[in-house]
Amino acid sequence: MKTATKSACDTCVHYDVEGVKRLGVDTTNVDFVIALAGNPNTGKSTVFNALTGLRQHTGNWPGKTVTRAEGAFEYQHQKYKLIDLPGTYSLMSRSEDEEVARNFILFGKPTLTVIVVDASRLERNLNLVLQILEISSNAILCLNLMDEAKKNKITIDYRSLSRELGIPVVPTIARSKEGIPELITAISDLANGKIICKPHKIKSIPKHVEEAVQKLSAAIKKEYPNVSNSRWLAFRVLEGDTHILEALKTGAFI
Amino acid sequence: METKNIDKIIELSNELRWQIGDDFHDNLTEAIYADASKIVEKTVVKDNKKGAFYLNAKIDQIVTSKIWGFPIMLLLLGLVLWLTIVGANYPSSMLASLLLDTIHPFLKEGASFLGFPWWLSGFLIDGVYLAVAWVIAVMLPPMAIFFPLFTLLEDFGYLPRVAFNMDALFKKSGAHGKQALTMSMGFGCNAAGVVATRIIDSPRERLIAIITNNFSLCNGRWPTQILLATIFIGAVVPSSYSSFVSLAAVVGIAVLGIFFMFFFSWALSKTVLKGEVSTFNLELPPYRTPLFWKTIYTSLIDRTLIVLWRAIVFAAPAGAVIWLISNVFIGDQSIAVHLIHSLDGFGFLLGLNGVILLAYIVAIPANEIVIPSILMLTVMVTGAVGGAGAGVMFELDSVTATGDILRSGGWTLLTAVNVMLFSLLHNPCSTTIYTIYKETKSTKWTVVATILPIVAGFIITFLVAQIWRIMS
Amino acid sequence: MNPYNPIIALLVFFGVVLVLFLIFKPKNGLFFKYQKVRKENEKTAIEDILKLLYHDANISKSTIFNELDFSQNLLLESIETMMDSGLIKKEKELFSLTKDGHEYALRIIRAHRLWEKYLSEKTGFHKEEWHKRAELKEHELSGEEVDDLSTLLGNPRYDPHGDPIPTKAGKIHEKKGILLSDLPVFNFGKIIHIEDEPIAVYKQILEKNIHLDSQVYMKETSKNRLVFESEGEQFILSPIVANNITVISLDKADVVEKDTMRLSNLESNQKAIIIGISKECRGENRRRLLDLGFVKGATVSIDLLNPLGDPKAFLIKGTAIALRKDQAVKILITKR
Repeated sequence: MKTATKSACDTCVHYDVEGVKRLGVDTTNVDFVIALAGNPNTGKSTVFNALTGLRQHTGNWPGKTVTRAEGAFEYQHQKYKLIDLPGTYSLMSRSEDEEVARNFILFGKPTLTVIVVDASRLERNLNLVLQILEISSNAILCLNLMDEAKKNKITIDYRSLSRELGIPVVPTIARSKEGIPELITAISDLANGKIICKPHKIKSIPKHVEEAVQKLSAAIKKEYPNVSNSRWLAFRVLEGDTHILEALKTGAFI
Repeated sequence: METKNIDKIIELSNELRWQIGDDFHDNLTEAIYADASKIVEKTVVKDNKKGAFYLNAKIDQIVTSKIWGFPIMLLLLGLVLWLTIVGANYPSSMLASLLLDTIHPFLKEGASFLGFPWWLSGFLIDGVYLAVAWVIAVMLPPMAIFFPLFTLLEDFGYLPRVAFNMDALFKKSGAHGKQALTMSMGFGCNAAGVVATRIIDSPRERLIAIITNNFSLCNGRWPTQILLATIFIGAVVPSSYSSFVSLAAVVGIAVLGIFFMFFFSWALSKTVLKGEVSTFNLELPPYRTPLFWKTIYTSLIDRTLIVLWRAIVFAAPAGAVIWLISNVFIGDQSIAVHLIHSLDGFGFLLGLNGVILLAYIVAIPANEIVIPSILMLTVMVTGAVGGAGAGVMFELDSVTATGDILRSGGWTLLTAVNVMLFSLLHNPCSTTIYTIYKETKSTKWTVVATILPIVAGFIITFLVAQIWRIMS
Repeated sequence: MNPYNPIIALLVFFGVVLVLFLIFKPKNGLFFKYQKVRKENEKTAIEDILKLLYHDANISKSTIFNELDFSQNLLLESIETMMDSGLIKKEKELFSLTKDGHEYALRIIRAHRLWEKYLSEKTGFHKEEWHKRAELKEHELSGEEVDDLSTLLGNPRYDPHGDPIPTKAGKIHEKKGILLSDLPVFNFGKIIHIEDEPIAVYKQILEKNIHLDSQVYMKETSKNRLVFESEGEQFILSPIVANNITVISLDKADVVEKDTMRLSNLESNQKAIIIGISKECRGENRRRLLDLGFVKGATVSIDLLNPLGDPKAFLIKGTAIALRKDQAVKILITKR
């Protein structure tokens, strides 16, 4: 398996197993902060454990991790801190776990977000993926449970998926650690700016709504010229999210 | 931080929200899913032949079928409980003989060798150490068996099917099907059961599950029930039936707990909780073979040890308190005796006595030390033979001898029945109370969860006592 | 020497229970009576009279006495105050609102309907309770609180019964509709309003699961009963009950939900496409269903049945999601 990325990655340096050091819970002096997001039941915690060498419990049950777990690994002398966010279907509801996930991606300013999805249920998982891509421009899609997808006779053209989404896509089987080295390489490449993401933006919004979103997004942009996700902020404001209005007042997300 | 003037943005958003109406969320979600299905169309090829989903579907058909659904469920959960209770016996008595019969005297000797004053060795070794040792001996083995077994079922993916099967029953009392699982977890440990309510994502139903979890008879209370049933209830029938009858009594208490759980779930959902948001959804994930050893390891670390540690933290001061009230004298009597006498009247009304109530007060940190405390206090008050001195909790190997001490303290069949009821219906242990507070972040609901069962316990034991006395 | 006797103990206990019961008895316990007396002040009476006159102009004093549950003295005093402050006027013993009174009445109605909207979106209170709670709350909310509430809810236009919510400026877009009982046979209509008073009639409508914003097709009208179809189900109502439902008549061309049915009626081995979620599914429930993939155009089928019949697990976007019947009735589908 190889990483499929925006910048034809066939020529990329391959992963360097020797360079990876699992650091467990030692999260001091990190160079990069990585958020780990995903639907419930996609093996997100298994990916987390595979990356950090920790042994978080991974239940086959939606909504296991409610509080976020932290861990770290080192790769080519750079330290990465990993935040395992609660598994959620969406980032737009008001439940506690969604707020934890949403707030971290928006206000925690992670270097990049790794989104773990179940390869057999891609369409459902894309709901969350497309929302995250509106918030944060640096993301990697971890196409997990490839073994189950294969058993279910589902094949995914992950190169064109990467093209469609505008972010690197890495197929993995986290249980047996397949694809994890490639995932680490992709994380490192993106964190060090070797790959540039061009994330997909939600397109199919009805015209009259889209116009409203654009107007509001422009108004936010005017007040905060440096904000990259003004469109997401506009979504939230239109949904009546009072937290976001509060954050707009203080500029907490800059 | 500088505060930005966002009045313009707010004004604009108000105007726009009026314009686009209240369908915004619908529109956005539909747009996202529309994009998603376009992307999937371009990138995913599905072979429509039956894949591995087939096996999954087969298992599902059996475990949710009309005929097999409930028997399989009862069998599996019953097996887990049985393995826990029976399997924990042996390691428990081994731990007890090690920690209580070997290490405890050794520590006492060591202390006297080092010239500790009597009050220091009493406070530390008879008080703190003994309570901690007791909690470990009683609590660790069942939890070390229960949690891994339960976690294996969970990791396999079977538990969501239990919630699915049971939901209709729970819905009738305003609860969520997943409460079947948090309730079962409560049979292991109420604190763990309360943590497990995180799987319920509807605010109202989650609060119901948290508040009623204490009605599941936990590991710390099973031994009390079994002991009392054996001594008192088994004794009223011919000896050939006695083990069966005492077992039936214990199961009856557990079932009564389930009944109370349903009743209070219903009552809560109709009164104080009716304004909380209530939603329902239940994903039935595909079955996955659990990684056996990893599951055992993580469940031991994540659940068993964490809960055990919390219990120890709470039990240590309780041990200290027990020792102190038995050894600090006001006038010519210890604090404990004063307390017992002042509680005696109220205890009598409930068909209990002052010793029992005091034991339940000092044992709030851990239900495991109720029986040892009762025995110690009884001996202290009655001056009966046995025990190791004021403030030193003990238990006897012989069931008959235990029964003799209790009877010498004035216990009758009514006392035993009411202690069994009260053991089911009283405030949660402090570990659980603390956990409830951490999970709800609300003093109000913590207080409700604490007060509700004990009020129920007072009422029930009171009624039983009066009716019993009228009848006899 | 010992005064204890189990019978006396029991009697004392039941005595205490009885006292507590009398105090906290729902509806007419002393506690609730006390609350009601406290609430029965002039402000409340004035505002209730204003609302009454808003809906029925030109009514007599005796009608006011009959309609409102206040003491006559309080009502008389209130009417006097209202005349003095120019909220109402009297012509030939009949009262009606002045311009100021009309504005005041709209402010109360705005508070009432916004609070109902709030209860429907953000709390778990049952539909039956919305009106009752809003009746109390409307007198407590200040103008500022009402505006904040409106912002919080995204400036909604309609309350959960389909009634328009007056804007801050006092504009109101009354929807023009006809009573369901006036919809001619073999005609299509769309339910735009379900009246929540009287509560007994409203309860009957709720029990039948008739949904706001659904399309209806009238099959039979007679003196005794109306028979109509909506969302693939047939309903029979007495005209009295049907008078609580307002519809607008639809042209054949506007009828989009001809083959619509409810997800709850889908059978095993059938596949269907989701048309949408009924307006009756609100707040967090609606968001959850959408997030789980119950969106327009998605394919849905039954994955698993439960030994007790409810809930059912539906296969949606590759995952089995169990829904209860009261949720499934609010998802509209068309068979494929």
